[in-house]
Amino acid sequence: MAEARKSMIKIKPKKYKTGDIVKVDFIVIHPMDTGLIKDKKTGKIKPAHYIDNITFSFDGKPFTTMKVWETVSTNPYFSVNFKVPGKGKITVDYTDNTGEKNTKSKKLKPKD
Amino acid sequence: MKRRNFIKSMMAVSAVAVTPVALMAKDEAKAKKKGPNDLTFEAAVKAITGGKEVKESDKIKLTVPEIAENGAVVPVKVEVDHPMEEANYVKAIHVLNTKNGNARCADVMLTPANGRGYFATRVKLGSTQEVVALVELSDGTFIKTGKSVKVTIGGCG
Repeated sequence: MAEARKSMIKIKPKKYKTGDIVKVDFIVIHPMDTGLIKDKKTGKIKPAHYIDNITFSFDGKPFTTMKVWETVSTNPYFSVNFKVPGKGKITVDYTDNTGEKNTKSKKLKPKD
Repeated sequence: MKRRNFIKSMMAVSAVAVTPVALMAKDEAKAKKKGPNDLTFEAAVKAITGGKEVKESDKIKLTVPEIAENGAVVPVKVEVDHPMEEANYVKAIHVLNTKNGNARCADVMLTPANGRGYFATRVKLGSTQEVVALVELSDGTFIKTGKSVKVTIGGCG
């Protein structure tokens, strides 16, 4: 699992001003295995592999933290609201139960 | 003799088919299939609230499909009609289910910087059951709302 996972942060709507409430969508390509399903090729049960902690932060300050379990769908999608305080950077850090760590960030550019 | 043998064998077959022991073994095998973090709904609620009272509230708007054709991808949207000010805000949104092995889906800790109590995701549901949104407010009270989802194909393996 050396290569970075594909992930994406989307801000909705595309045009926003300082003080607006925007939707921050975070999507990541992840198997989210429950540890119950058999692998069709090998016939062995796949070990559980899921994202367990996610932190949304703005300029290093966390504003939302999540604890997630394997009951969330494959290639999960998480959406929260955020009140734009000005220019800055939204960063999403996530770890999974195997200890894999990843980070994704996106700049916030409000149009005033 | 032929007839007697025939009846005997018929009885043997039916006895095997209806033996409760055989059925029990099948059920046991199903029950043994357990995930790593299995927790019942009641235990999950208790772990979150610490035994506090949870009120049903219409302040929470929970959007789930009535019928989910694929249980592996069930969109869940929670909106809380509550102010998000420094002293009075939505502290956490917990998304739970009632019949999966693990009743917890996601615990979302919010802050006033969020601006609105909102969370959306997609969850897996193993069978027809209820999705429950349990919301903790900053004054320590808990409110909840639930909606049942009919699942035609389970998604938890």
